[in-house]
Amino acid sequence: MNEVVLELKQIRKSFGDNHIHRGVNLRLHKGESVGLLGGSGTGKSVLLRSVVGLEYIDDGEILFKGHRIDQLNENQMVPIRTQLSYSFQSGALFDSLSVFDNIAYPLFEHTKLTLPQIKEKVSDVLKLIDLEGKEHLMPSDLSGGMQKRVGMARAMIMNPEIILYDEPTAGLDPANTLNVVSIMKKLKDRGHASIFVTHDIPSALSLCDRIFILKDGVIAFNGTTKEFKESDLPLVKNFLTH
Amino acid sequence: MMRVFNMDKFRQKMLDVFYLTGEFTHLFVATMKCSFSRPFYFGRLMEQIKILGVGSISITIVIGLTMGLVMTLNFGYGLKKFGGTMYVPAVVSLSLAREMAPLFTSLIVAGRIGSGMAAEMGAMNVTQQVDAIRALGTSPLRVLVVPRFWASVISLPLLTALSCALGIFGGFIVCLNEFGMPGGFYLYKVTSTVQLHDYMSGLVKSAIFGGMIAIIASYRSFRTRDGTRGVGDTTTWVVVTSSISILVVNFFVSKIFLVLWTK
Repeated sequence: MNEVVLELKQIRKSFGDNHIHRGVNLRLHKGESVGLLGGSGTGKSVLLRSVVGLEYIDDGEILFKGHRIDQLNENQMVPIRTQLSYSFQSGALFDSLSVFDNIAYPLFEHTKLTLPQIKEKVSDVLKLIDLEGKEHLMPSDLSGGMQKRVGMARAMIMNPEIILYDEPTAGLDPANTLNVVSIMKKLKDRGHASIFVTHDIPSALSLCDRIFILKDGVIAFNGTTKEFKESDLPLVKNFLTH
Repeated sequence: MMRVFNMDKFRQKMLDVFYLTGEFTHLFVATMKCSFSRPFYFGRLMEQIKILGVGSISITIVIGLTMGLVMTLNFGYGLKKFGGTMYVPAVVSLSLAREMAPLFTSLIVAGRIGSGMAAEMGAMNVTQQVDAIRALGTSPLRVLVVPRFWASVISLPLLTALSCALGIFGGFIVCLNEFGMPGGFYLYKVTSTVQLHDYMSGLVKSAIFGGMIAIIASYRSFRTRDGTRGVGDTTTWVVVTSSISILVVNFFVSKIFLVLWTK
């Protein structure tokens, strides 16, 4: 777990006069899961979007496996995005495509696999997310929890090095939350590193190796799950008690 | 209270128009670059031709036929006073081929396909589907814009040709029944008056208008914010802007073609 697969150095990002990030530093090791906590509007999702190149940063460096990716253009980001995938908070499924076509989309775009091979891969992934036999359904036929799971399946179908989860348990009932967290654990066991943006402390504690807290544009806490639980810092206590 | 002309506001509006023209040009250049480099999405292009082109056939039939009927009636009774009924086939067919068929078809189709594109892509933008296309290592320009651009460029001239043919047919019906003109004479006047370059100018114009509709719709759709209300605003903006742009550009393109013919 020593190899650093993702490193953020002094990330700065503003929207007009609103300074979201004022020098964020973060390191993610191979196969590691980190939880990124913080109040609403602190820029957790913006940080994930910056990592995957959906937002441009104002200053700082983003390194993926030692290579700087924050200055790459859309074409140069293509191979990176197959290794660094993003699971949207809303699922962001293509509403005109079926579950099968949504999950298979990256395979059709980036591989030369035959249709039977793609069907087999999609079927394996559907088993993993407990949605076997639902490939013909449209996104509008799915519940919110199911949509998030399909979004996660689409994010992991290319077997990426890192998966960025943007509040995957937000708005879900306890049963669906457990379901989503169990899928994330399975993916972690398969060796995918991940950053888990969430307000759901129990899920973060059950899944993550380390916890980061984003406050006032910087990482205000960085420690292992054990250190997080035992910390006397008011900031951490505030998270644990609410 | 009397409104006073505000020079600053006028200057700002003009700057906005120049800025938008620059943005449209930039998107057009990017679309052309993507059109001639891999990956190509032929399946999506065919799908869009079906949606934008085939889906607009019924409205084009109505436009073309009614345009021919109404124009012929008006020109017919207008020219009858001066004994010029025999000129009706030439006037109707020439104005249909050069101006009326491309302009009216493009304006009506701009309403249909422009609003459709804006609503679809605008909704995709606010539901993060456009971001998902990027995050999955593909380009929204290639996946969404290029197929719509070429589908419009290919479909609109074909729809215009259909509209023009039906307009001439409408004129034929009115001339035959209303003015007692022999069918052979009508067809002779049409074929001897309207030259190939007249038809071509109409078709080229409509191809330009088709491309403009797709570029304007794509440009605004990718900037859609504020949920369903934003999608509504985008749709209205696209229909209004593309209609105005078609009318303005039509003048300049007509002028260019006229200069070319007279040479």
